[in-house]
Amino acid sequence: MTERERFIRALKRQPIEGHVPTFELVFFLTMEVLGKVHPSHRQYSQWNQMSVKERELQLQDMATCFIDIAKKYHHSAIFVHPNPGKPDDTIRLLEIIRERTGDEYYTMMHGDPTYSIPDGDTMLDFTTALYEEPERMKAQSHERTQRALEWAEQLSHHPGLLDGFTLCSDYCFNTNPFFSPAMFSEFIAPDLKAVIDGYRSMGYYTIKHTDGNIMPIVDQMVQCGPDALHSLDPQGGVDLSEVKRLYGDKVALVGNVNCGLLQTGTDEECAADVRRCLRQGMEGWGYIFSTSNCVYTGMDLERYNMMMKIWWEEGIYGPNGGQAVNAK
Amino acid sequence: MSILEDISLMLQQGKAPKVKQLVTQALEEKIAPQTILEEGLLSGMSVIGEKFKNNEVYVPEVLIAARAMNAGVAILKPYLVEEGVEEKGTVVIGTVKGDLHDIGKNLVKMMMEGKGLKVIDLGVDVSAAQYLEAAKENNANIIACSALLTTTMNEMKNVVTAVKEAGLQDKIKVMIGGAPVTQSFCDSIGADSYTPDAATAADVALSFCQ
Repeated sequence: MTERERFIRALKRQPIEGHVPTFELVFFLTMEVLGKVHPSHRQYSQWNQMSVKERELQLQDMATCFIDIAKKYHHSAIFVHPNPGKPDDTIRLLEIIRERTGDEYYTMMHGDPTYSIPDGDTMLDFTTALYEEPERMKAQSHERTQRALEWAEQLSHHPGLLDGFTLCSDYCFNTNPFFSPAMFSEFIAPDLKAVIDGYRSMGYYTIKHTDGNIMPIVDQMVQCGPDALHSLDPQGGVDLSEVKRLYGDKVALVGNVNCGLLQTGTDEECAADVRRCLRQGMEGWGYIFSTSNCVYTGMDLERYNMMMKIWWEEGIYGPNGGQAVNAK
Repeated sequence: MSILEDISLMLQQGKAPKVKQLVTQALEEKIAPQTILEEGLLSGMSVIGEKFKNNEVYVPEVLIAARAMNAGVAILKPYLVEEGVEEKGTVVIGTVKGDLHDIGKNLVKMMMEGKGLKVIDLGVDVSAAQYLEAAKENNANIIACSALLTTTMNEMKNVVTAVKEAGLQDKIKVMIGGAPVTQSFCDSIGADSYTPDAATAADVALSFCQ
């Protein structure tokens, strides 16, 4: 069974053997691990000026970053971050990854048209528009959804390149969602459901990511039908066991290893948190192991290495779900 | 219902045009500007702050209420200046060096203004020296530091150190907050206060100024 197949089985909450699948939304520490600048950190201001050969070499090099990180850390999936992201180049980047790895890895890209938390400069204008021009804001959201689906449709003409979309609009702070449940129902949920349904009709899987405390809106998020929820942010008070208890029969769960702790905690605290996630997440299948955000710039690589060492030694399924007895 | 209660209620509902109209009307009725501010606008914002703290309202409701408050304050401002009404204290706020996130900082700023505090916003990517200089220039009671990233929150320690090295720790309180910040981190760097949300930050800031 390929890593891709194992990842898909996890998304479907089906039993798998061996390690619980793992990946990261982004692994920024490519310079430290591979001696290469992360593709998202590259500035291709002269992209259009490049010869076809030069562009191909750049795309090959970006593919190397994604593939080599996946290989080194036994990731089951590659989150492809195209740069500069033009459609033809994006498709070529996906082709290169498939040419070089076959169907070994599940591939995903960004694809969330729904509104996220605005930034500080625009938050008042954005909020005012929600109150004073709700129909215009809904129409704008529908347009964004249509554009996302058009792009997915374009990609679907290249079967086998991409397995799914990860929807990364952030909705929540640590204390609460930005949008009240009523506003979420009015402005977010209809398009979240529409885009997930649209992707699914084209054969794509979906993982819905958001940081923060999702609990006031998690029911609505699950009802929109994603295959998995990502981040399950412990800094937002999200309890992996509780979400599993409430929604484990409807959606796969991804993440929950406390990123803040990886940065500031002791080795013992981090190890305990990793073990807690494996114990809680692997119970009853339907779990993908990852940090509660990503391997971000500035993270101590040794902490991620420690996390993955524990995963390698202890993140192994027993026959009935949950960790194998001899792995604990 | 009195006109001041009306102002408070309309503010809570985020109805800026109505708040402006009622504040103008209250001035015409010769109600003291400071009374309109305290018992109309700030009272309404205080209700919103409490509800936010108790998870009864969400950020958009706070923003829209703050917009209504600012609309009312804009009308009152010349009268307050004329009467020599002063703010209850001064806060210098910013997101720490290396960090460009500002929504949390802006929310705290709005909540603090809703308590009648003067807030000097230094924006994002603010160094310890910049905080200190602005605090001295504005005779501030508080420096408020925000960070969203675990990799930047250590800059808060530099702010605490800068205040101490300037010998101003008895005059200027350092408040910290943001997604990765915790009480134990606050204790470890010797800051004066950590608050988990914007409304609590405003309450604590006001208490430091009284």
